[in-house]
Amino acid sequence: MINPVSYWRLKDRYFNLVGTKCKKCGAEWFPPMRVCRKCGSQEMLDHQMPHKGKLLAHTLMKETSEEFKASSPYVLGLVELENGQRLLAQIVDVDATGLQDGIEVRLTLRKMAEDSKKGTIYYGFKFTPLP
Amino acid sequence: MSKVFIASAGLTPVGEHWRKSLLDLMVEASLSAMNQAPELIPDRVIVGNMFSAVGSNQEQLGAYLANQLNLIGVPAYKVEAACGSGGAAIHNGYLAIRAGESEAVLVCGVEKMKDIDVGKVTAALAMADSAEYTQFAGATFVSLNALTHALYMKKYGVSKEDMAGFPVLGHRNAALSKHAMFKKPITVEDVLRSPIISDPIRLMDSSPVCDGAAALLLVSEEGAKRMDGPLVEIAASEVAANIFTFYERPDPLDYLATRAASKRALEKAGYKLSQMDFMETHDAFSITGALALETLGVCKPGEAPHDVSAGRFNLDGELPLNTFGGLKGRGHPVGATGVYQVAEAYMQIAGRAEKNQVRGAKVGLTHNMGGVDTTTSVHILRREA
Repeated sequence: MINPVSYWRLKDRYFNLVGTKCKKCGAEWFPPMRVCRKCGSQEMLDHQMPHKGKLLAHTLMKETSEEFKASSPYVLGLVELENGQRLLAQIVDVDATGLQDGIEVRLTLRKMAEDSKKGTIYYGFKFTPLP
Repeated sequence: MSKVFIASAGLTPVGEHWRKSLLDLMVEASLSAMNQAPELIPDRVIVGNMFSAVGSNQEQLGAYLANQLNLIGVPAYKVEAACGSGGAAIHNGYLAIRAGESEAVLVCGVEKMKDIDVGKVTAALAMADSAEYTQFAGATFVSLNALTHALYMKKYGVSKEDMAGFPVLGHRNAALSKHAMFKKPITVEDVLRSPIISDPIRLMDSSPVCDGAAALLLVSEEGAKRMDGPLVEIAASEVAANIFTFYERPDPLDYLATRAASKRALEKAGYKLSQMDFMETHDAFSITGALALETLGVCKPGEAPHDVSAGRFNLDGELPLNTFGGLKGRGHPVGATGVYQVAEAYMQIAGRAEKNQVRGAKVGLTHNMGGVDTTTSVHILRREA
């Protein structure tokens, strides 16, 4: 798991999906790009991504890294946001066996992991089906 | 610019080396390579490795190895590109000789994975992808390939049975090899019965956690004059980096780095793909095996699994593939793999592949990926004309 300082630095990105937007051509990026992949501009502003998207593919993970063992098994999804940007996120409040790709999903703030030694609880982005 | 030749190759068996350390493995492979070409003394030491810091609490591997080989004062350093570390290390040695800065370069790939528990290995392998987003979301390296595997099966309507052809081929070739990890052939049923790690990837779709080291002694044209016997030339060495994570790419199934590196390598060496006598590809998972073949242009999109199952890539087939078992059968000590591949290609061309020998092998290609085709190297080896 990421260290607490990095986590603090990234909290807006994790809690609100703040990526970047190119000042010149308007392209939006998540994970944030520092140089625009579309036009090469270096003028990038922080910009909140849409909180809704579509599930493109998913996998039920039976084996996880040490830090995520407490919540294993879980579903990891490839999500495409409404602006076309993609990310990986756990898909929660679903029955893994009946989960269909193509459904609409929305951002939800959830506990990611707990550092048992330092006592830090990490919250972050997961996605859940739209009702 | 000097041509680059391979003077010798040394390998440890791939497997569970409980009695040997990271250093023991590096020294064993390196001394084996050096003792086969005693007329050459390395003037540079390059180590390819992914996660010695996690696996053995050790960094500075270049100096660490050079010290034990009594090569003091030479340039010595580690090159890292995740599972592509080995290929990137060879590339670095190749450049040093091409540039005229070195005459004999020792390149050693090593990984010690078994000393730490599997949860830590899983976390270390995930470091190939971004800590801030991919790892934070709870993804493992297997899960990234599971998502591409699922997208691939959906896109082309490929069956589970056909995908299982990759591990079956790997184990069949490995069973003939002295240094491979797995000595037992398996069937499609064995693959489909194995437990799921990250759906649809099963245990038998995945290369194993293992230990191993491989070393090559690279030599310049000038240095090669001191040697007799057949010379194997590195006719091209190319590395390319893709958009970092697969989900950021316009097409998540596009292996752009593989395409770019192989295109440049074939152009520079002056070959067409159809001239290759054999190939070693990065089949860390069945899906990476399939996408590698299709991106290299050996198979049409969506047809690699069927071509593998149909026997096109058997040792006696049209284009022998992963001739010592590949990552699945030989094993995948991650940072060492790229060096094992080139060492195996060398053994094929030098006629030293024993039971795994491809008859009349004169030219071959190796393909080594770090991450999901994030940093990919392609090497073309040929018998000296």
